[in-house]
Amino acid sequence: MTPLDPATKKNALELRDLNFFYGKFQGLKDVNLDIEERKVTAFIGPSGCGKSTLLRTLNRMYSLYPGQRAEGTVNFYGQNILDAKQDINLLRARIGMVFQKPTPFPMSIYDNIAFGVKLYENLSSAEMDDRVEWALSKAALWNEVKDKLKQSGLSLSGGQQQRLCIARSVAVKPSVLLLDEPTSALDPISTGKVEELVHELKQDYTIAIVTHNMQQAARCSDYTAYMYLGEMIEFGSTEQIFFKPSKTATEDYITGRFG
Amino acid sequence: MPDKHISSQFDAELNTISTLVLEMGGLVESQLHQAVYALVHMSRESAEQVMENEVRINQFEIQIDQAVISIIGRRQPTARDLRFLMAISRATQNLERAGDEVARIARMVKSIVDSGSPRNLPSSELRVAADLAAGMLRKTLDAFARLDTTMAVAIIRSDDQIDNEYNGFMRKLITYMMEDPRTISASLDLMFLAKSIERVGDHAKNIAEQIIFIVNGEDVRHSSMEKVESAAG
Repeated sequence: MTPLDPATKKNALELRDLNFFYGKFQGLKDVNLDIEERKVTAFIGPSGCGKSTLLRTLNRMYSLYPGQRAEGTVNFYGQNILDAKQDINLLRARIGMVFQKPTPFPMSIYDNIAFGVKLYENLSSAEMDDRVEWALSKAALWNEVKDKLKQSGLSLSGGQQQRLCIARSVAVKPSVLLLDEPTSALDPISTGKVEELVHELKQDYTIAIVTHNMQQAARCSDYTAYMYLGEMIEFGSTEQIFFKPSKTATEDYITGRFG
Repeated sequence: MPDKHISSQFDAELNTISTLVLEMGGLVESQLHQAVYALVHMSRESAEQVMENEVRINQFEIQIDQAVISIIGRRQPTARDLRFLMAISRATQNLERAGDEVARIARMVKSIVDSGSPRNLPSSELRVAADLAAGMLRKTLDAFARLDTTMAVAIIRSDDQIDNEYNGFMRKLITYMMEDPRTISASLDLMFLAKSIERVGDHAKNIAEQIIFIVNGEDVRHSSMEKVESAAG
């Protein structure tokens, strides 16, 4: 594991006093956290603890729903994501998201990738071909689909569909990738491929991953955050959290004890 | 281990391992007492009994190792469960080696008896040292069962006492040998016996260090007494 040297640390996202409300229900309570650049930060905690809410806050996914609001600041390279003036489309190009269930568009594999790119960039068809190959290669899917790019994305297996979704996010060249339980619907082999991918992608991207699978967090993250009832209970290097957590609540959760 | 896992089967497995380690430790302790009895009374029979029982200690080691591997493989333990299993594995290894030392004492007694001329060994000092080591082992097992770090620190400190006793005894033996070369042969036997007893104390100390590892996550092997104390605090 990379030593945690504060001198070379650079944060992609800095959350300060973040509160989130679903109408009257408070989903996040005073969350303060730094997400380091080009590292994998995992969020663990029981259902309803706010980890998905937190992830959805980071690219303003909640803006789609009336009655949901966030307070505080999320500093993303100098701009506050929560600012009302923030261009949401541009934000989502820079902070991509992959969901629990694969959500390929009902179109060809090629178009699944090209669709998002066309929203932000004007590429020639040769450039687009390159971009599609590049994104599919990044997602470790190119070799499996290069001979059937015109086939529907829905014809792929679940694991392939999920990697297609990751390729789609990568294609617009974001700087942060948010993964919300990306492997919970996948078999162990596909899960292994996605985890391998996470490891590859962190060379270029900052990754935040929500997972119910504690071993997954232990395997593929650099930092782990344990959340409970909307609060950030403990945050630290993954090694420290899984070997010697400082809070009893964290220890009880990761060792599978009654909290 | 306090607190219950959501899986009661996991608790049962950890408890089984704990019990096995304590049984194994108890066996090593009773072996040590019997070996000392054999030494003091030059009893060939007791010495042989100790040598036979050593097999059981070895079997415990294998059985506990298998249980630890099985839990790691099936449950992917973390945090204090992980530290506990690592510590169990190390403690077991130390108990097995302490068992080897005890068997070595027994073998030496047997060969002294078999040589036909049981020498008049001044065994009383060895008996004191052996009682110290046995007491230390007993305390270590108690502290292990209760995960008592204060007691662990006291045990680690008391190992220095045994070491001092050992060094003093060595100096004494050297004086004997210099004064009367006819005592060399018997003195050498005593030296090896004393060394084995001293090693039992070392193994007890190593196990005590593991208690601090389980509770506080601090690896205090090869550390100064000050560091041990602050890690246990």
